[in-house]
Amino acid sequence: MDETVAEYIRRTVLKIPRDEIKPMLQKWGFLSEAQLETVNFHQIKENISQDVVQLCEENSTDIKQAAVLDIIYNNIYPNKRIWSVYQMSKTGEETEYFDLTDFKKKFKRRLRSALKNVTINFREYEDNAIWIRIAWGTPYKKPNQYKTSYVVYHSQTPYVFISASVLRSNLPLLCQALVVASNYHDIHEMELRSHSLNSLKDIVFKRYSQNFQTYCPRPLTERNVAPETVDLRIIQENRNEKERIRRLNQQVFGDGPQPKIEFAQYKLETMFKSDPKMHVLDKKEPFRCLVKFSSPHLLESLKSLAPAGMADAPLSPLLTCIPQKARNYFKIREKKGLLPGSFVSP
Amino acid sequence: GVFAHLALLEARAYEAAVKQEETEQQEEKLARLKARVQELRLQRDKLRAQVEQQEKGQLGKEGALNPAQPSAQTVLEWKMKSLKAMLQIFYLTGISGKLTKQGVCFCISTAYEGTYLDFYHLDLLTKPEVQIYRHSIPIFIPLQQIAKKYLQTDIRRFLSVLSDHLNAYVGRRYQADQLQEHFSGQIEGTLQRNSLCNLLVFNYNVSSENKTFLFKVRLLYGDPCCSLPTEAVISST
Repeated sequence: MDETVAEYIRRTVLKIPRDEIKPMLQKWGFLSEAQLETVNFHQIKENISQDVVQLCEENSTDIKQAAVLDIIYNNIYPNKRIWSVYQMSKTGEETEYFDLTDFKKKFKRRLRSALKNVTINFREYEDNAIWIRIAWGTPYKKPNQYKTSYVVYHSQTPYVFISASVLRSNLPLLCQALVVASNYHDIHEMELRSHSLNSLKDIVFKRYSQNFQTYCPRPLTERNVAPETVDLRIIQENRNEKERIRRLNQQVFGDGPQPKIEFAQYKLETMFKSDPKMHVLDKKEPFRCLVKFSSPHLLESLKSLAPAGMADAPLSPLLTCIPQKARNYFKIREKKGLLPGSFVSP
Repeated sequence: GVFAHLALLEARAYEAAVKQEETEQQEEKLARLKARVQELRLQRDKLRAQVEQQEKGQLGKEGALNPAQPSAQTVLEWKMKSLKAMLQIFYLTGISGKLTKQGVCFCISTAYEGTYLDFYHLDLLTKPEVQIYRHSIPIFIPLQQIAKKYLQTDIRRFLSVLSDHLNAYVGRRYQADQLQEHFSGQIEGTLQRNSLCNLLVFNYNVSSENKTFLFKVRLLYGDPCCSLPTEAVISST
């Protein structure tokens, strides 16, 4: 077995939390149960990984098989990477019969025709997600297994989730291969990025909770109402206001959990409005300013702003439109020009 | 001396007697009033019972005697019942809607052969023209295409076509799930499918006379509004 493969397997196993190593190796399916029984998974990780490498030596693992373990790891821990969403478009209107074998063949062929030194792995999952792992090389160097790009694609949808690595120069080639393989014409990057892959999927596949008004005779889900203190000595002075805020919040955010994004960025290219006598920015140039909101869970924190009394309800549509517009990067220009990709400031 | 004393005592005795009479009289009065209160209470309870009985009797009596003038209560109950029945019918047809401030919100329910499956929502604006505000239709259903064809001109047809697409999709998906669940023993390897479930490729084995034959199947569902395949290619491996 190649030294580089051994080292790669060793490093991949070291990334996995100790309790997850055995289940992940079982999912990998490359080492037999009997072989796994011989490893003591309670020792320190350094030793576990050495034992695993030893077993892989016995099975003469090659890099493609080792790459599968990497896909499994990234599929279980996708939030360690940052994902961007790309949207594909096409002009035709025929129904698509997505054939997986066809897709894989076309993708590999397109990619390899431009760059021979690539390692390409595919893995399909139950939710119709196709995971593609690409390790990039150059015309003169073998693929660097530590500089990988991941692509997640659901068939017959126009959205692709890409976690590119440092090598952004390979992105156009990757995009081209995707477009050709999936029978689309065009692809462009959306202004939507997050660590949470599932939340990005929720946003573009419209799986997040939207508050639809219907008469559907289904039992209403129990709303988690905090138990009201029945102490009659406590009087709620702002009961009406609290109810109004709760109603508005529910209309905007719905009842369910919000998609998880970590930041929203607003690039302001608006004119600074000040007292003309102050002579600030006499040149009347746009005041360039970047506002960035960060949070471990931005949308949930926005949802709790008004009930916590920190902001007035209703919140600015600039903040609440994030899931519906499927973007968290905005450019705000003056009202005069309605340029594509910009959001008019209220 | 003694006469004055005696006169004083007499006066005192007289006063005490008067006082005692007064208290006695007051106590009598109190007792009388208490008895009266009891009487009145009894009477009130009797009257209350009578009124209640009359009310109940009223409904029954009037229903039978005066069908042209039912009480407000019955009318309301009947209205609610018929409304609920109407909504139930709408729900059973698979398409129900509710007017909103800006337009109307539709709910499309899907089912396959008696099993209720998913439901999807479509929030429409009606001004300045009919347009889709937001929805929860899966992204691989050609919503925009269907909307372009019918939304402006014939909304009934739009909803009907969309409902056909959705019902066919969930039907195909349900069948594929059932196939995987109930025939997992006969399917070799994985069942290759896609988001729309309109192409299924799998290998399955058939045993007869102690011999097992392996077949490869490719099912193509050509009609997006149909949950049955239009093309089946079976080959032996």
